[in-house]
Amino acid sequence: MITRRIFLRNSALAVVGTAAVPSFLTRAAFGAVDAGTRNKRLVVIFQRGAADGLNIVVPHAEPQYYAMRPSINIPRNAVLDLDGRFGLHPALSAFQPLWQQGHLAIVHAAGSPDTTRSHFDAQDFMESGTPGVKATDDGWLNRTLRNLPLTPQNSPFRAIALGPSLPRILSGAEPAVAMNNINDFSVGGKNPKPSPAALAFEAMYDHSSDSVLHGTGVETFDAVKMLKAANPAKYTPNPGAIYPKGRFGDGLRQLAQLIKANLGVQVAFADIGGWDNHVNEGAVEGQLANVLTDFSQSLAAFWTDLGDLGEDTVVVTMSEFGRTARENGNRGTDHGHANVMFVLGGPVQGGRVYGRWPGLDQSQLYEGRDLALTTDFRQVIGEAVARHMGNKNLAAVFPGFDNQPAKFLRFLG
Amino acid sequence: MRPSLRKVALALVSLAALVSVGAVPQLLARKKVAAGDPVANEHKRAVQALNRLTFGPRPGDVQQVMAMGVDRWIDLQLHPERIPDSEVESRLAAFRTLHMSSKEIAEDFPDNQMVKQVMDGKRPMPSDPAKRAVYQVQIARLQEKQEEKQEKKQRKNEDAKAEAGTMVASPASDSAKTAEELAAAAAASADAACNAPTNLADTNSNSMGASSMLASNSDAIANPGVPHVSPILRDMGTPTNETATAPEMKPSATDDARRREDRLYADLKIQSLLDLPPDQRYKKVLAMSADEQVAFADSLRGHGKAQDFLAGMAPKQKETLLAMNNPQGLVADELVQAKLLRAIYSDRQLEEVMTDFWFNHFNIFSGKGPERLFLTNYEQEVIRSHALGKFEDLLVATAKSPAMLFYLDNWLSVGPDSMRALGIPAHPARNGPRRFPTNPNAKRKANNGLNENYGRELLELHTLSVNGGYSQRDVTEVAKVFTGWTIDKPNDGGGFKYDPRMHEPGPKFVLGHRIKPKGDGEDEGRELLHMLATSPQTAHFISLKLAERFVSDDPPPALVDRMTKTFEKKKGDIREVLSTLFHSPEFWANTTYRAKVKTPLEFVASAVRATGADVDDAMPLVRQIANMGMPLYAAQPPTGYSMKAETWVSSSALLTRMNFALGFTAGKIRGVKVDTPQLAGAAPAPSDALLTLSTLEAKLLADDVSKQTHDSIAAQIESSTKPARPPDASIIAGLLLGSPEFQRR
Repeated sequence: MITRRIFLRNSALAVVGTAAVPSFLTRAAFGAVDAGTRNKRLVVIFQRGAADGLNIVVPHAEPQYYAMRPSINIPRNAVLDLDGRFGLHPALSAFQPLWQQGHLAIVHAAGSPDTTRSHFDAQDFMESGTPGVKATDDGWLNRTLRNLPLTPQNSPFRAIALGPSLPRILSGAEPAVAMNNINDFSVGGKNPKPSPAALAFEAMYDHSSDSVLHGTGVETFDAVKMLKAANPAKYTPNPGAIYPKGRFGDGLRQLAQLIKANLGVQVAFADIGGWDNHVNEGAVEGQLANVLTDFSQSLAAFWTDLGDLGEDTVVVTMSEFGRTARENGNRGTDHGHANVMFVLGGPVQGGRVYGRWPGLDQSQLYEGRDLALTTDFRQVIGEAVARHMGNKNLAAVFPGFDNQPAKFLRFLG
Repeated sequence: MRPSLRKVALALVSLAALVSVGAVPQLLARKKVAAGDPVANEHKRAVQALNRLTFGPRPGDVQQVMAMGVDRWIDLQLHPERIPDSEVESRLAAFRTLHMSSKEIAEDFPDNQMVKQVMDGKRPMPSDPAKRAVYQVQIARLQEKQEEKQEKKQRKNEDAKAEAGTMVASPASDSAKTAEELAAAAAASADAACNAPTNLADTNSNSMGASSMLASNSDAIANPGVPHVSPILRDMGTPTNETATAPEMKPSATDDARRREDRLYADLKIQSLLDLPPDQRYKKVLAMSADEQVAFADSLRGHGKAQDFLAGMAPKQKETLLAMNNPQGLVADELVQAKLLRAIYSDRQLEEVMTDFWFNHFNIFSGKGPERLFLTNYEQEVIRSHALGKFEDLLVATAKSPAMLFYLDNWLSVGPDSMRALGIPAHPARNGPRRFPTNPNAKRKANNGLNENYGRELLELHTLSVNGGYSQRDVTEVAKVFTGWTIDKPNDGGGFKYDPRMHEPGPKFVLGHRIKPKGDGEDEGRELLHMLATSPQTAHFISLKLAERFVSDDPPPALVDRMTKTFEKKKGDIREVLSTLFHSPEFWANTTYRAKVKTPLEFVASAVRATGADVDDAMPLVRQIANMGMPLYAAQPPTGYSMKAETWVSSSALLTRMNFALGFTAGKIRGVKVDTPQLAGAAPAPSDALLTLSTLEAKLLADDVSKQTHDSIAAQIESSTKPARPPDASIIAGLLLGSPEFQRR
């Protein structure tokens, strides 16, 4: 699948040659183009391990919720009430101002319609964008780029994943870069002038007939050069943006740097684990609360850090499935079905819980045990892809799904 | 799984693109002509066998395998018990925890819970001075932490009181409920703290490796230890007036001064001890008072002094001093180091490859609760000893292992109608049989219900595979079957225990099969495991995964079918299934040759093996593997790590690999000695750099170097700005290890 990137990259690079620095790099470095700042951006956050949506955005008006979760419920007086029906888990207090300012929207009872309760398959489906179809060999975030106008720079940073490997969601024909750490993103030292070893590696990978390694290699050296020219190190976080320590916060901090450095980021991806709480999930405090604190403080810091650039940014969160409506025998929850999604961004009509609430009565539960699904995640993403990113060809992004604009939830107005 | 037609078409497009820019893709052209043909000669056969059955050829390995005969060598690898393995044994001799039971590990390398029990007098303080030293330091640190917590709480309470005074009081009943609920929640979270990793995201990136005090300076900065507090203060048991009343969080100037002074004192002490012979040095530390030991441990950590201080000591002495700072980290460090050292130095290479394969198949995440107590035994007794045996034996061993029972939560799963859930007393009164009134509240008590985590992963990941035709109902029924399979005191490193009181009574129906209740219920689980181990779906799934490991990311279905048949005919004999694989034309096809991209572990181990490097301390290498995205024993989801190229080929991963290759051959990775000049042949003159290149191509890559890679390095040699000093052997070796060719096996 990675092979397909190369024919796109090749056309550009064959002309450029190996050692020459393409002119767009220098332009970006000196800030001559401000087009990057006018880029529309879509940031996708994956909560891996199946987050417990019912304890994240709590249906505190439902007596059934309290009946089914005797030891792990969030008491009514502890939830951060949103609209009299739903409330945020208290560990999400960092989201409260975003909600009040109208930048944060919530879609409840959303997710993938596939019935699998396998982490692996369900994540795969949500990243390929084709629930139930395993043969899809690229990810929907990659396909999102396909029909978009290029940024003026045709930047290697159009698509970026924070982490050591390129996730399924970004694999495909469009070039995409995985970056674990901005500071280590070079070969043989950080000197502006590439080391002889770096040049040799670049020539090797540029000309390699190994289709898999060649494609990634070319993208990598492009990105290294551009990053050196742009020097994102000078973009320190805004004073108000305090990222929690840890992998997720670090990732978002660096993503903000790349965006502020005007590197032409159009789609980005980051993930956060620690949601699979079969045992001792906790309630107001505990395991889930700890992860939620990290999750919400990191995202809130990212939002603050972006400042005006947030106007052109939409962040969507998702998780492979929800968890059982009832707590299990060990003060935890098992694998369930529908979940909650957050949408954050400048153009978002926030301060509202979108989607139809299916209820928690026994007859309303999916298979008698899980929150039923009323919004397909592709409907949520589709709205962001079409209305925010401007890619109207949703049939290509989500093949096999009839994404009718009339059915959009209209969280983008 | 992936449409191969499309792939071929795209490969052709890319081929055309490459030709048009003038680069003739040599490897690809060769593959295209020879697709499906067997590899050309005995030399290539030996390289293929070594690439797949080992962690990469060492200098001289190809010749040795050829001399023995490739088939004979493979047969020998399939029988590891016939291969003496003294080198790796001597390299592992220093790691005592590898031979300790989980219980011993729990006692000698205590976690906070164990330390607390000794602190509270519930367990005796060990009399052995070495063990005592470990406990004393942990107790002092724990006390310090508790005091800090207490102080914080007090401050918070005072703040809250002050605030409450200005607020309108809420209705009494309401606030009472909150307090009660908060207390319950706090209790739950205290439980959670010992049962699960506190920060999974973090554990992933640095769960291993950064733990020991041998860690480099930068690690120490990244993981600052507990604040240094004067032993005198610690002695007093309560905070001094100064800290208790100081309203601000910042330490006062006098605090700072005292800390500096303490550290200076301890540093001086270390300095003076350094002049003594190692054995006396060690004895002096054990003879110190508890306070001195604490100061000593604090001072030693993160200063790079540990290595000097430990030099020349016996393994047990080293372990004790390391454990004073981080007992649990020491166990984890020994485990990861042993894994890498075995991958590099064991002569039973296939056994190590298979141990890695099965561990990943039956993955356990080391960051969860007390798993570190179980992992050493799990890998040795459960995985390695069954690695080439019968699949069913392996499956049963994993099912009964405390490591798996804890990781997938089965130890807590209770039948909803079991005696325990119904509140029936364990020891009924003697006066004959009578009906016990069931306790109506018992069921509502937490920890009395099914947990289906293991049941699901057993079907999906361990046996049938996700397409194995089971339903949610089957998962629940499997969970019922395994109720009662639990652990005897997991935090003490206890073993498997069957508790009939937790077992769900009655028949269970799994995949249309009725499992009859029998005896006290324990054998129901055995019956189910037998059923799963002998299922055709399992035979196919295991064969497919093995073919993915040894042949290609998309192995030929015909091969997988033949392996499946062997699996069924030979009753899950793994050695036989592998033998079918190793003697298949698909394994020897030209298209299979170097078709697999190495995982980070395979890449690092193969680089060390290829260069014949000498590893003195494996931790820096272990950290490199983690940087490449594969922290050992730290795959959090039960799926383990992917074996496929797409996971391991990314910008970030490639850069890390290139930088590792350059740093490694230049001798910049601490703890490893690489002798590249020796590898490159008898000190060639600088002008012979091209000769060096071809020597290293033969040694490091068995001459499987494309023209593109060769030309790129040669061009670099020729265009060197200082013709008198072209790149030396170590840079050339680094470029070869970072080349596209070396990323494959």
